Amino acid sequence: MSNKTFRGGVHPEGHKEISKTQPVEVFLPKGDMVYPLNQHIGKPAKPVVKKGDKVLAGQLIAEADGFVSANIVSSCSGTVKAIEERYVASGAKAMSIVIDNDGEFTLAPGIGEERDPEGLSNEEILDAIQMAGIVGMGGAGFPARVKLAPKDPDSIEYIIANGSECEPYITCDDQLMQKEAHAIVGAIKLLMQLFPNAVGVVAIEDNKPDAIATMQGVCNNEKGISVLPVKAKYPEGGERSLIGVVTGRQLRFGQLPAELGCVVCNVSTLNAIYRAACKNEPLMERLFTVSGDAVANPRTMSVKIGTSCAELLEAAGGIKAGCEAAKVLSGGPMMGIAMPSLDVPVCKNNNAMTVMSKDEVELAEKKMTACIRCGRCGHVCPLGLVPQMMAEAAERGDYERYEKKLYGLDCIACGTCTYICPAKRPLMQLFKQTKAAIMAAKRR
Amino acid sequence: MNTKLFNVSSSPHIRNKLTTGSVMFDVVLALLPATVFGVYRYGLRALLIIVTSILSAVVTEFIFDLIAKKKNTVADGSAVVTGLLLALSLPPTVPLFIPYLGSFFAILFVKCCFGGLGKNFMNPALAGRCFLLISFGGIMTDFAVDGMSGATPLAAMKAGEVINVADTYLGFAPSVIGGSALALIIGGLFLWLSGGITFEIPAACIVAFTAFMALFGGQGFDVPFLLAHLCGGGILMGAFFMATDPVTSPVTSSGQLMFGAVVGILAALFRTNGTAADSVSYAIILGNLLVPFIDKISVPKPTGYRGEDPKGKKTGFPKAALNLCIITLVAGLALSSVFMLTKDAIEEQQMAANAASYQEVCPDAESFSYDDTLTAAVEALGGEVYGEQYGRTYINEIVVGNAADGSVAGYVISATSSDGFEGNITVSVGISPDGTVNGISFTELNETAGMGMLCGEDAFKGQFSGVNTDAFILNKSGSSTADNEIDTVSGASTSSGAVVNAVNTALDFFAANVK
Repeated sequence: MSNKTFRGGVHPEGHKEISKTQPVEVFLPKGDMVYPLNQHIGKPAKPVVKKGDKVLAGQLIAEADGFVSANIVSSCSGTVKAIEERYVASGAKAMSIVIDNDGEFTLAPGIGEERDPEGLSNEEILDAIQMAGIVGMGGAGFPARVKLAPKDPDSIEYIIANGSECEPYITCDDQLMQKEAHAIVGAIKLLMQLFPNAVGVVAIEDNKPDAIATMQGVCNNEKGISVLPVKAKYPEGGERSLIGVVTGRQLRFGQLPAELGCVVCNVSTLNAIYRAACKNEPLMERLFTVSGDAVANPRTMSVKIGTSCAELLEAAGGIKAGCEAAKVLSGGPMMGIAMPSLDVPVCKNNNAMTVMSKDEVELAEKKMTACIRCGRCGHVCPLGLVPQMMAEAAERGDYERYEKKLYGLDCIACGTCTYICPAKRPLMQLFKQTKAAIMAAKRR
Repeated sequence: MNTKLFNVSSSPHIRNKLTTGSVMFDVVLALLPATVFGVYRYGLRALLIIVTSILSAVVTEFIFDLIAKKKNTVADGSAVVTGLLLALSLPPTVPLFIPYLGSFFAILFVKCCFGGLGKNFMNPALAGRCFLLISFGGIMTDFAVDGMSGATPLAAMKAGEVINVADTYLGFAPSVIGGSALALIIGGLFLWLSGGITFEIPAACIVAFTAFMALFGGQGFDVPFLLAHLCGGGILMGAFFMATDPVTSPVTSSGQLMFGAVVGILAALFRTNGTAADSVSYAIILGNLLVPFIDKISVPKPTGYRGEDPKGKKTGFPKAALNLCIITLVAGLALSSVFMLTKDAIEEQQMAANAASYQEVCPDAESFSYDDTLTAAVEALGGEVYGEQYGRTYINEIVVGNAADGSVAGYVISATSSDGFEGNITVSVGISPDGTVNGISFTELNETAGMGMLCGEDAFKGQFSGVNTDAFILNKSGSSTADNEIDTVSGASTSSGAVVNAVNTALDFFAANVK
């Protein structure tokens, strides 16, 4: 029998073998380190250092401003060079702390002190997460401290460790699960302490047999934690799809997973939680995949937060000889953001960078033709929406129908409809714009 | 510092290989078995028709785009599909202006004028076919090839003949070029398996069609009867290739189920009760008109809104299924009631027409009445074919014309021959008591315009008047000398022969029962 999955979805080519066969090495950056203050959903952090200050690795440089916000720590030692606006992946500018990296990576005192996970109180666990500045590392960047403090912790029945990694090219979660299975399971156990009625489920796409085997090996000895292989299909790792697959419950627009008794954490986030709580290590580094058909030596590296993407591409051998890089994506090709330049830092919620060659970009940019109403978009939509009708309503400006009748606001912008469309219509772009317009009108 | 700027665009940055062109190409591929068989069966002629139809479609679209200063859309391949589909739904005997004109009409008026691909509300190929059927009924229903009988299996079956279902299935029975059921099934399966079409429309269409035929077809659940109806008459081509045209069918699964069922029921209804030469084409284009409405009522609820128990399994009767039942029920009832209502009206008109016709051939009569003995003699025939020597002829009724003084002015016998070029010919034969034919008049004559229809002219039918004979003889050379010889209408010997047979049947009946 095939593994569990959701209805719909697509099967883009994975291209994962090119990076996952390479060993994970630690990359130590040489250039300036840049820490945007808004690496998370919510209010930007408040700087606690000023220009000229000496900082050590692991030292707090900006603190959470309000409840939905997160701390930021330095991942290198050096001197604060500036607090100024810098470009981020989206092409926008964000207030950032720039540190002149001395290349020593001298740790602040106390970092790396082991703590017995058994002896931690709930408060200590949450405080460690808050101090470490952990946010959702799968992409969302939602502050972990907020996610892990729902109104009624006893109502949580499922802790879902998301190791699906359905985006093409990206392999950092796959490699992390093989490398840090104990830390991930350790973090699930900490969460089970916070949510006493919950079971732990590690959901992994079945195209990662090594990660499934490793995780299963560790989970076998743990009561209440199991590994669930799920079918390799995009967007299996989307929060709504995954909750549906694991629990049979279906989230709506505006609902938080906790309302359905679920907490979903990416495996990278769980790894960071374990290190924060048990090794007193704030969030300074993460696994990061540099891949794409234009990259000479695609690989996953352990990367310091704040490292410039230009340096990382160089570390991966730069652009392949005879190849012209046309697009650089923060993330993978399905949901990644096209970056205008390489001079942007790796943020906490960035898991990969994909460099696409001119050929591959041209392949994707086929000429748009008229909609033939074939309905493929509806068949692949993981939420069961009808993008064909949504596009019609959006183009007509019928936002009432878009929202009320077609549930257009539920769209998670996974891009599945746009991927499949034979007429090459920019559906997702339209849906993002329409959603923004409707939400803006609501706020007014 | 690297200052090179890269392309930016909205995600996703990769796309599926599918394009509109490749989708259309798959349809052409799926039609290949039927096309190849058609050319194999009917030879170069069929190939010429196919090529003409495709060329006409493509060139029409090309020129329209040119004149309308629109971006050229020929490359999307949809015009090729339209041309091919139209050609495959034509009889192999049509002159080449037929595919040319059909494709021209389909592309220009049905597709381009409504905004091109994706905007047409009706399947262009079918609209083209219906246009041709209405305009050139005779040519479009002539299936006679190589001297073989031209009756299609369904027409033959309607006339009470036993047909060979296997021939129909393989495509050797008289049919349109793309008439091989087997080839269509192979193509349809390929299209389904390759993702070109979904199963909903063909499945719902065929199931609803079969169910309706079994219930109202008059033969019950008779497997050979149902198979013959499924293999012949275009229901397979309709279900797999015409109704599934994405542009003119609903977008969602539940909508497609409803649409398929509506098409199936309409096709069966038209076939059992209709008088038109085609049922499936009309069923589908009527279904096409319902698509905006079906789209409106078939929007599915996304996950999270389907009445799922927030903490458990799905509940509630699927609304789509309910909608489907209601819509088909209402459509079926509405259509059958329209049929019932019009049926009576048609019969009344028929009666009035008959009375006028009787008066015409028995002008001395003041009134007409039935004679119990003679009526019983008609009933004794049991509606069976009258006699082999006259082909398929039937006696409908005999009435007595009463003169003003109460004496018998004459008799009128209504006789039908089913051997007309286009089906039935019904003639009223007026006979005086001594057996002289007063005249004939037609109450049913649907022959080819300008040819068979000329039988209705006095030049032809006047030849019967004032002759007292046992039987008329058809003279094909057109130089009759004897009174009882009838000159054929030039180029319409089939129609003329059928009329003579019908009249002779009436005379035979008269001789046997009145004289």
